[in-house]
Amino acid sequence: MSVYLLQTVNGIGIGMLYFLLAVGLSIVFGLLRFVNFAHGVFYLLGAYFCFEAVRQGMSFWAALLIVPLFVAAVGWVAEKTLLRHVYAKPHEFHILITVGVALIIQELVIVQWGPLGDSVAVPSGLEGVVMWGDFIYPKYRLFVIAVTGGLAVLLWWVLEGTRLGSAVRAGSESPEMVSLLGINVFRLFSLVFALGAATAAIAGVLAAPIRGVEPFMGIEALAVAFVVVVVGGLGSFTGALVGGILIGVVQSVMSTLWPEGARLMIYVAMAAVLLLRPNGLLGKRG
Amino acid sequence: MRRNIDIAVALGIVVALPLLLSSGSLASEVLIYALAVLGCNLLLGYTGLLSFGQGIFFGLGSYTFGLVLTRTGLPMPLALVASIILGGLAAGLVGIVSIRQKGTYFVMLTLAFAQMFYFLAYSVPSLTGGDNGLLNIPRPPLSAFGVVLWDNTTAWQFYAMVAVIFLLVFVALHRVTTSIFGRTLLAIRDNEVRASAVGYNVPRFKLLAFVLSGAVTALAGALNAMMVGVAPLANAEFHVSEMILVMTVIGGAGNLAASLIGALFYVLAADWLSTLWPRWLMLLGVLLVIISLGMQRGLWGLIEDGFLALTARFKRTGEIRVEEKQV
Amino acid sequence: MSTEFLLEARQVTKHYGKFVALGGVDLRVRRNTVHSVIGPNGAGKTTLFHMLTGTLGVTGGSIAFNGQDVTREPGHVRVRKGMARSFQVTSLFPTLTVRENLRLAAQGVNARRAFNLWRSPQGHWSCAEMVDRVIERLGLRNQERTAAGSLSHGQQRRLEVGMALAAEPKAIFLDEPTSGMGIDDLDDMKTLIADLGRDYTVVLIEHNMGIVMDISHTVTVMQQGRVLVEGTPQSVRDDERVRTAYLGSMITGGRK
Repeated sequence: MSVYLLQTVNGIGIGMLYFLLAVGLSIVFGLLRFVNFAHGVFYLLGAYFCFEAVRQGMSFWAALLIVPLFVAAVGWVAEKTLLRHVYAKPHEFHILITVGVALIIQELVIVQWGPLGDSVAVPSGLEGVVMWGDFIYPKYRLFVIAVTGGLAVLLWWVLEGTRLGSAVRAGSESPEMVSLLGINVFRLFSLVFALGAATAAIAGVLAAPIRGVEPFMGIEALAVAFVVVVVGGLGSFTGALVGGILIGVVQSVMSTLWPEGARLMIYVAMAAVLLLRPNGLLGKRG
Repeated sequence: MRRNIDIAVALGIVVALPLLLSSGSLASEVLIYALAVLGCNLLLGYTGLLSFGQGIFFGLGSYTFGLVLTRTGLPMPLALVASIILGGLAAGLVGIVSIRQKGTYFVMLTLAFAQMFYFLAYSVPSLTGGDNGLLNIPRPPLSAFGVVLWDNTTAWQFYAMVAVIFLLVFVALHRVTTSIFGRTLLAIRDNEVRASAVGYNVPRFKLLAFVLSGAVTALAGALNAMMVGVAPLANAEFHVSEMILVMTVIGGAGNLAASLIGALFYVLAADWLSTLWPRWLMLLGVLLVIISLGMQRGLWGLIEDGFLALTARFKRTGEIRVEEKQV
Repeated sequence: MSTEFLLEARQVTKHYGKFVALGGVDLRVRRNTVHSVIGPNGAGKTTLFHMLTGTLGVTGGSIAFNGQDVTREPGHVRVRKGMARSFQVTSLFPTLTVRENLRLAAQGVNARRAFNLWRSPQGHWSCAEMVDRVIERLGLRNQERTAAGSLSHGQQRRLEVGMALAAEPKAIFLDEPTSGMGIDDLDDMKTLIADLGRDYTVVLIEHNMGIVMDISHTVTVMQQGRVLVEGTPQSVRDDERVRTAYLGSMITGGRK
């Protein structure tokens, strides 16, 4: 099997995870006009809660369902108790308060699990590879692609096909109008924020068997989410999808050509897109 | 006069540090970080730009200084100048791409560029030493034409040099922030659209502020490399950018002397708390949250309010109007 | 290029995606007149202003000011050419004093010199003369050291006008200067604008027909991104099409 095919498929897999990371950030920004710098720690919490759950004997499948709900609850609480108070303030404080929260959570993670990383076992049933003729590929990674693909469809359906989704899309244009229509905007904000946290957590859970867990993985996740959002265009669902896959493939292919520079190339790709299309590939002005 | 209070405070702290601290390198650390915070404050407090990329310039300053000293025969002052210039240039590059974007987009970009620089530094070990960093950076004495003007061997001797450099930069930045340019920056921070509507080319002003910020931050990085003898990869890590911002906000954005207070607070807290509790950064996070919720003018704001409250007590007759300043 | 008209806008269009905000507007403003632009909400008046002053770029058409084509020039450059504006929603520098607001506006005409990193804005550089003149004209002497954000609404609206004045422009663009004002402030503003009309060319968006009918030389009526009617206040008031556009009820004010 060709190395490039392998890396492209890897890239799609990573890219879908990146999409998942970015889409939560993008939706939250679209509605709340808020860039959540704590987004990375939701990813972190997802990974670590999964690690702990599995260590305590819970099945990976259960963790995949329960952990995101747990992290969503953390997000909900954070939004209600802390973040809500800074909406009226200049945007620097939105950022700073979430940086503060991120710092607190990161340190708490280190307190609980130590400063070194650890690994998470691939769930039983998904170990090993799949072989279709010439195509050999780890089962777990195929699973990740399948799950994230399904989640993408689910999210798309929620945004385009449900009343909640309509409220979110309308609220992104005008929160005032939405509240005049009788929708409790504050509850909507909390819900969306929790949803953003949940998607980041799912990405963390899915990534854990591939990447392991490590206290500083949240920062890299945040930066990548930013890159995807910048490349794809802020506020665009398809943009996050296209951006994520593009960045994932770039990283994977580069890791064969120039391993040390693979991570760097993500950012170079971002800079290139910015120079040519300042609003991102599919961006609409937010 | 209000404007001279800042300089007096800076001078006071610089003179007081040797009396209060026992470690020369700790004192130098305070001033070095204070320089970086000054750079960040110029952006945040005066121009309204929140930059997560200051680590780029700090790291770049360290690397440049190390490379110039170890690979060329240039004297130390020139190495410092080289760092300053490269820092300014890098800031210009990052600025040109980032400043085009508004508000939060700009912030996100600075973070992405910071990560980019980190991986760039990691992937060219021939220049940066990769994971190990640049090692064995000397600390030469200050000399001109072969005559040694100032020996830098002991920690306190080095501090003296750093102190002079710091004060020079402080006074220069003070001049800049009170100049017509500086006042225009304040207007831009208050209301960009209005600033543009009355005739100012806002992106150009922001870019110049960014370049100045990069230059000053690179100088801090260079001095740091000289002090520690190493230009580590860690100087380009996100953590550095984050901490510089944290110091700026804790000290109080919008006031130069506050930058020194912020750096002082952080360095002392780190030195003292990190031995007590390795996870002391959590408290910093809590402090950030508190400041965002209610203490927007940082420690300097607290000191100012406290001072006003005290003087109000001594002036029972007449009213003191406390100006409500929104950062 | 005709020198009778200070401002000539031809077929100005503005599209936001598929939405047509302006569908080809022609506007010619004579020197030293008060030219009002009126119309129901959504007519595109403020958008037209944004096009004229360069706050936003046009999708099509051309704009000539004082004989020069300024269509592609960004707003901050047009200030130098002699255009100054106020905003419909108050847009001042809220934490800075009234004096400082005006100094910035006065300095903005010569914005390049504001790149001075060395001199502080004192003495020769303080634009004090211009600032004082504008403060007197606005009647804000007692508030000159107050932060702009702390002024009353009426005072803020006056300062908005002042920001345009301080640039010593050839043309002043006022976007609903009286919006939100109470009766007492209204009369002061009306006198101020009429006053301005003597020294400058004023382009005015207003909903207050009392002011429009009394002090304008020319009135342009807009509807749905196009010009409906243009003429003297009297002819516009009597025009059937205008009555229909306003549903017959709005143009009743004025003392004539």
